[in-house]
Amino acid sequence: MTENKSFPELRRKLNPGWWTANRHYVQYMAREWTSLFVALFSLVYIYGLSLWVTGSRSAFLNLLKNPATIAFSFIALVFTLYHAVTWFYLLGQVVPIKIGKTTSKPWQALVANLILMLIVSYLVIWLLVLR
Amino acid sequence: MRETHKVARLHAILWGIFSLGGMIAAFLLPVMIYLTGIAYPLGLWPFNGSRDPSFLITGTLLGMLFVFVTVAGSLFHGIFRFQSALTEVGLLRLKRGLEAVGYLIIFVGIVLLAYYLLVLNPRLAAL
Amino acid sequence: MDTATIRVTRYRPEKGPEPFFQEYKVPYRNDMVVLDALNYIKANLDGTLTYRWSCRMGVCGSCGASVDGTPKLTCASFLHEFKGRTITIDPLPNFPVVKDLVVNMEDFMEKLVRIKPWIIREKETPPEQGEYKQSAEELERYQQFSSCINCMLCYSACPIYGLNEKFLGPAATALAYRYIEDSRDQGRNVRFPIVHEMEGVWECTLVGECSVVCPKGVDPMLAIQKTKILGATNAIRSILMPRGGR
Repeated sequence: MTENKSFPELRRKLNPGWWTANRHYVQYMAREWTSLFVALFSLVYIYGLSLWVTGSRSAFLNLLKNPATIAFSFIALVFTLYHAVTWFYLLGQVVPIKIGKTTSKPWQALVANLILMLIVSYLVIWLLVLR
Repeated sequence: MRETHKVARLHAILWGIFSLGGMIAAFLLPVMIYLTGIAYPLGLWPFNGSRDPSFLITGTLLGMLFVFVTVAGSLFHGIFRFQSALTEVGLLRLKRGLEAVGYLIIFVGIVLLAYYLLVLNPRLAAL
Repeated sequence: MDTATIRVTRYRPEKGPEPFFQEYKVPYRNDMVVLDALNYIKANLDGTLTYRWSCRMGVCGSCGASVDGTPKLTCASFLHEFKGRTITIDPLPNFPVVKDLVVNMEDFMEKLVRIKPWIIREKETPPEQGEYKQSAEELERYQQFSSCINCMLCYSACPIYGLNEKFLGPAATALAYRYIEDSRDQGRNVRFPIVHEMEGVWECTLVGECSVVCPKGVDPMLAIQKTKILGATNAIRSILMPRGGR
């Protein structure tokens, strides 16, 4: 019967503000936009290295000591930690682990990976800075 | 059909790298931001001595490797994901353009990063 | 007597090109569902109201609609959840509207068929050899994905499908995964190119709303993610071992 359509169908476009409609969508958008700060910090770091290569090491260090960079780093750290937390929760959702008869829950993956992240962070500091 | 199949296969691999970048950004980037952007300029542990984060690059090869993996992985992941986040807030028509710009930034960024690190690390610059 | 106010988005293309609201007051009982209200309206207030329904008990998947902004089965949405408020009923989002609450399902149906939802064997064994045996563990790997009732709520909840109609989508991919994970199926070579094409699983960015709205407990987000992992490992394998590497 599709060839005989005399009346037009109503096509509704998704409006750009679709993500404000419910709490899950807002959390999703916040989670995705953490990527902006992850990328920006990387670019700022590469920029800092370019200052060192073209100038001197103190040019790089002065960029790091700049209050704007410190403020940006705080914000970037907050967003990166939000990325880590939501990433670990996602891991728990899409790679559930079976131990005997029980299956792991996402919040368990979150806690386990968060602890692992703290251990890895300490290892990095110990291996690279403290030794 | 074969053309789109090759593109899809490439996209599958890029997605794999993006996922790896996500792991890197989750496990390694926080400590990197803390060391470089917060601990050093504010004199917090472990930088309350005389060392500074440039040591990560010039001091050991392991440190240089850490910086490369963390920054390259985070850059790839961040740009890849931000591209799709932009298309979702109404910029879908610009998708091809955003992808092109994004991959360009990733490529240039990683090449520059590798180059700078090789130049700055005295052990490698001497080679 | 208690009443509830139902506000329906109508679309009558034979009368005019624009959709419009219409409000109805229905008598309220605390065991009523939205479908009961729609049926009361059609029987007593406005016979022109058009909508799909069938089993009225949440197994046929016909009665999907947007109830106060959330894709739900109207037969499974109790009025008492919305007590004291006006409930707004819209046709399922992301689908073209034919009339009132009836949407065009053709794109969805095409996608379900596209992924070849049947057991594909390289070689059929003759019936004399008996049935294909499957253990409880093997069944568990795909069982939840076989519960889909094709109600399309997941497509309505998915903003990626809303932005790009070419996206294969949650239900179709979950169904494909149901067959990929079925131990009796040998059709990966056939299905992988379909799910792993550009508008297949790769468009998904893990919004996850599909799994939230599913009335039967299917987790399409999980199916899509697992299919992505299969796709990535398959792509790497096909590059490292181009001749098949069996």
